[in-house]
Amino acid sequence: MDLILQQTVNALALGGTYALLALGLAVVFSIMGLINFAHGELMTIAGYVLMYCGLAGIPFAVSVPLAVLAPMLAAMAMERVAFRPVRNASGATMLVTSFAVAMILQVLFQNLISARSQPVILPDALSQSVTIGGLIIGVNKLFAILATIVMLIALELFMKKQKHGIAMRAAAEDFAIARLMGIRANTVISAAFALSGLLAGVAAVLWVSQRASVDPLMGFTPVLKAFIAAILGGLGSLRGAVAGGFVLGFIEVFLAAFLPSAWQEFREPIGLSLVVLILILRPNGLIPAATLQAQKV
Amino acid sequence: MKHILIATTALSIAALDAQADELKLGLATAQTGGLAPYDAPVVEGIRIAVDEINAAGGIGGKIMIEMTEKDVRSDTAQTSISVQELVDAGSEAIVLPCDADPSIAAAAIVASAQIPAISTCASSPTLPLIGGDYVFANFPGDNVQATVSASWAFEQGMKTVFILYSPDSQYTTMPLYFADVMKSLGGEVLGEATYNIGQPDFSAIATQIAALDPAPDVVMTSAYEPDFPTFIKALRAAGYEGQVIGSDGIDSPTTFGLGDAAEGVVFSTAGHATEGSPLEGFNTLYEETTGSKSETVFNAVGYDLVKVLEAAVVAAGSTEPQAIRDAMANLEDVQGATSLITYKGTTGMPVRQVSLVRVKSGERELVGQPSPRADLIPAPRMQ
Repeated sequence: MDLILQQTVNALALGGTYALLALGLAVVFSIMGLINFAHGELMTIAGYVLMYCGLAGIPFAVSVPLAVLAPMLAAMAMERVAFRPVRNASGATMLVTSFAVAMILQVLFQNLISARSQPVILPDALSQSVTIGGLIIGVNKLFAILATIVMLIALELFMKKQKHGIAMRAAAEDFAIARLMGIRANTVISAAFALSGLLAGVAAVLWVSQRASVDPLMGFTPVLKAFIAAILGGLGSLRGAVAGGFVLGFIEVFLAAFLPSAWQEFREPIGLSLVVLILILRPNGLIPAATLQAQKV
Repeated sequence: MKHILIATTALSIAALDAQADELKLGLATAQTGGLAPYDAPVVEGIRIAVDEINAAGGIGGKIMIEMTEKDVRSDTAQTSISVQELVDAGSEAIVLPCDADPSIAAAAIVASAQIPAISTCASSPTLPLIGGDYVFANFPGDNVQATVSASWAFEQGMKTVFILYSPDSQYTTMPLYFADVMKSLGGEVLGEATYNIGQPDFSAIATQIAALDPAPDVVMTSAYEPDFPTFIKALRAAGYEGQVIGSDGIDSPTTFGLGDAAEGVVFSTAGHATEGSPLEGFNTLYEETTGSKSETVFNAVGYDLVKVLEAAVVAAGSTEPQAIRDAMANLEDVQGATSLITYKGTTGMPVRQVSLVRVKSGERELVGQPSPRADLIPAPRMQ
C-alpha cells in the first residue's frame, strides 16, 4: 500500500511536469494552430541560464526567476522573427518552421556553448528528501508538485480574470470574431508565446533539477512527451493538456513500478499502446477543445 | 602537351612524396549529439598528440600525420557515410566513434577496404569480435571493468547487488557482466531493472530499490549522462544509502558537481593521475596546450589512441594500411597517457589498466588499480 502511495507521489511529480510542458504547447496551438516543436529549446535556454547563473555564483533563488524570464523573452522573439511571417500559412509550413527554429537553436548551442553537457550547480537541499506520514518524498518532487499546483491556479486566474487571458480565450474560440471585437492579433499571439515560454521555463527548472546537467539536445525528450500529452488530452484544450500530462505521468511511473521485470523492456511500447487505446476510445482526446474543428472520418 | 606531361610528372612525384612522408588519418567521430560528450574530449587528446608528433618531425622523425575530420552526429548511418568518404579520400587509418553500434556499422567498409580502424572509446568487448580483423578498441572492455568493480565490491564485503541496465546500447548492458562476476564470486543478485536512454524519470525504479528488504549492499549501473545524475538523485531521495557503482561513462564534470547525491560513488575508468604518472604528465601538457584543466580521462584516451597508431606505424615501417593493421595486432606494452597498452594475443580489445575512482567532496579519489582475475572475466555477451 505504501509503495502504491509512494509511486503515486512520483507519478504526480512527473505528470505535473508533463502537464506544464503540454500546456505550453496547447496555449500556442489553441490560438495559432501551431505545434511549436522549438518549445524544447526554450527549456534548453532556461537550462543554460541556470548553468551560467550557477557559474557566476548567483543564488538559486535569483537564478530561478531569471531562468523563467529568459525563455519568455526568447519565445516572444521566436514568434516575432520566425512565426509571424508564416502566420497565415498552412499548418504544415508552421510545423516545418518550428522544426527549423529548433534545429538552428540546437546548432547554435553546440557551436557557441558546447557540444558536451554542462553541469548545473544546484542546492544540495534539492537532492534531499522529507518524510511525510511514512512516505519518503524527494524535495525536488515536492517542489515539482507545488510548482505545478501554483502554475495551474495562476493560469486559471489569468485566463478567467486578466484582460490578456480573456482575449486569449476569445482568440482561441474564434480569432476572426475576436479581432472584430478589437483584440489585437499581434498582442494576443505575443502574449500566448510569452505564456508558453513561462511554462517552458518552470518546467525546465523542474527538469534540470532532476538531471543536474544541460546539453544542446536536452529539449527533444520533453517536447516529445509534451506532444503526446497534448494529443492525449485533446489538442488545443488547456484542461485537456493538463489531464493528458498527468495521465502520461501515471502511465509511465506505474508501468515502471509494477510491470513484471520480464516485461520491463517493452515498457515504452506498452505505455504508448495505452495512449493509442485511449485515443481509440476518445478520438478527440480526454477533454477536447470546445472549438475543435477536427472531424472523424 | 609537354606542359601537361610536366604537370602530371610533378603531381605524381608529389603524390609519391605524400605517400612516403605522411599518414592520412581519417576521423569519423561524433562532435555533436549524444556521443559528443565522449568523442569531443577524445579528439582534443588526439589533436594534442598529433601536434606533438608533427612538431617533432612526424612519426619516427619523418612521417607527418595529416588528419581529416568528419562529424558523424552520433548517428549510425552517418558514421557509415563518413567512413566511406574517408576511405574514398585515401585514409590509411580511421578513427571510429565512442560506441560499439556506429563502429560496427562502419566495420564492413573498413574490412573491405582493408584499412585499420580504431574506436575512440567504445568499451564493448563485442566490438572487435563483430567488427572483424580491422576494427580495434581503445578502452578497457566492459567485462573487464565489471570484473574489477565487482571484485572490489565483494572484497569490501558487499555480497548482494541490484543492477540497473538498458538494452538500448551494448555499453549500457555492462551491469549484466557485473551480475555474472558477483554470482561467480558467491554473491547474490537481488533484482534488476531496465531503463531507456534519455528516460526523464527514475523515481519509480528508485522507490522500488529503496523498498527492497533486505536492501542490496550495492547498486550497479552503467547509465551515463543525463540518466546517471537523474537516477542517483532519485535513488538518494528515495532513501537508499548503500554503495553505488558506476562505470567510465560518468567520468565527467557533472558527476563531480552533483554534491551530496554522488558522494561515495565508485566507478571504473581508464586511468587516474597518480603522482609522477604519465597521466599527470599528460594533464600538464593538456593545460599548457589548451589553457584549461583536463576535466575527464577521455582527453588522455585520445592521446593513447595516437600513441598506439604511432607505435604501429613504427613497427610496420610503412604507412601501408594492411601493414599498420598487422603491426597493431601485435603491439605490446605501448606506453600511453593512461596505461601500458597491449593488443598482442587479444581479438582487438586492448589489455589496459582499469582504475577505480571514488567521488569524494566533488573530487576524485583513487580506490585502486587492481588487475582482474582472468578466470573471472565473463565472455563477451553477444546480443
